[in-house]
Amino acid sequence: MMRTAKIILFAALFLPALFAANVGAAAEAEQVFKFYCAQCHGLNGKGGGPNVTKDFPVTPRDFTNTAQMNKLSDNDIRGIVMDGGPSASKSPLMPPWGKTLSDGDVDGLVKLLRKFCNCKGKPG
Amino acid sequence: MKLMIAIFAGALVGAAVSAPAGASPADGKKVFEGQKCNACHYTDGPAKEKSIADQLAKKGPELWYAGSKFQRPWLEGWLTKPEIIRSLAYNSLTDKNKGDHPKPAGADAKNVADFLMSLTTKEVKAGKIKPKRSLKGRLVFNKKMPCTGCHRSAGKKGKVSGGISGPTLIGAAKRLNPDWVFAYLNNPTFFKPFKAMPTFAGILKAKDIKNVATHVSTLK
Repeated sequence: MMRTAKIILFAALFLPALFAANVGAAAEAEQVFKFYCAQCHGLNGKGGGPNVTKDFPVTPRDFTNTAQMNKLSDNDIRGIVMDGGPSASKSPLMPPWGKTLSDGDVDGLVKLLRKFCNCKGKPG
Repeated sequence: MKLMIAIFAGALVGAAVSAPAGASPADGKKVFEGQKCNACHYTDGPAKEKSIADQLAKKGPELWYAGSKFQRPWLEGWLTKPEIIRSLAYNSLTDKNKGDHPKPAGADAKNVADFLMSLTTKEVKAGKIKPKRSLKGRLVFNKKMPCTGCHRSAGKKGKVSGGISGPTLIGAAKRLNPDWVFAYLNNPTFFKPFKAMPTFAGILKAKDIKNVATHVSTLK
């Protein structure tokens, strides 16, 4: 009985805080995405940001494309965000954000992209 | 004696006509504040933004280092006849820039330019970049780095291309102080703690940063 009460008390004290922290982190990741990534990938992540005019030479990745996104591991995504497209033999128009974003920002973006694609990606 | 008085009076009238009224940074500041320019542009540095939200709350670019960033003739001309530098509204990815920036009239434009050109920073050191063609800079700008993804510029034959989320670099040769471009590329967060442009310092070699700044100084 005492043990159950302790568990309930623990949950009542810490779960809301944990939930709030997750919601806060998700909102922050969304803000980071909109500020940095949406210029090319679009606010909805489909690859149609305002920079993608008729003379834009490549098609930015559509993060809602589950099949394509499943080919990438979380670490693949991290690497491309940090080191730019050429690090994965892709276009230099994908910038290296390694000196701009924090590790926490990039982790948040990886989670957000996984939400966009509704996929887990390959392990690794 | 009458002739002397006439000459003296003529000189006084002439001076009054040729000297712009209140041509000083202090007068320009009065106009700037009077016309509520500071509702969109802050002019007291250093940079104030502590978060992306702070940056997004701004209605226009910060001007606290305008005198180090812009070239005087361009600035006065632009204030008289503002042209669109950003295709999109400031801080927006969806709304077009309506091109409705206020135009201070005549002498006011000159005075505001005087005021803005008085806002300088030691972070920008004079004489670092000499405007000249830089093939290496052009290569980095056009091919190796993503600059054209967000900035429009005109190629050798005048063909305009590039993205629109960043300010256009068409006319950068007349608009921007090349030494500011160099300082900005080297230490961007000093000027803009939160900006949609990646930081290239630490990624590009020092030589390439100089080459890119040199290339930008030639963009017409």
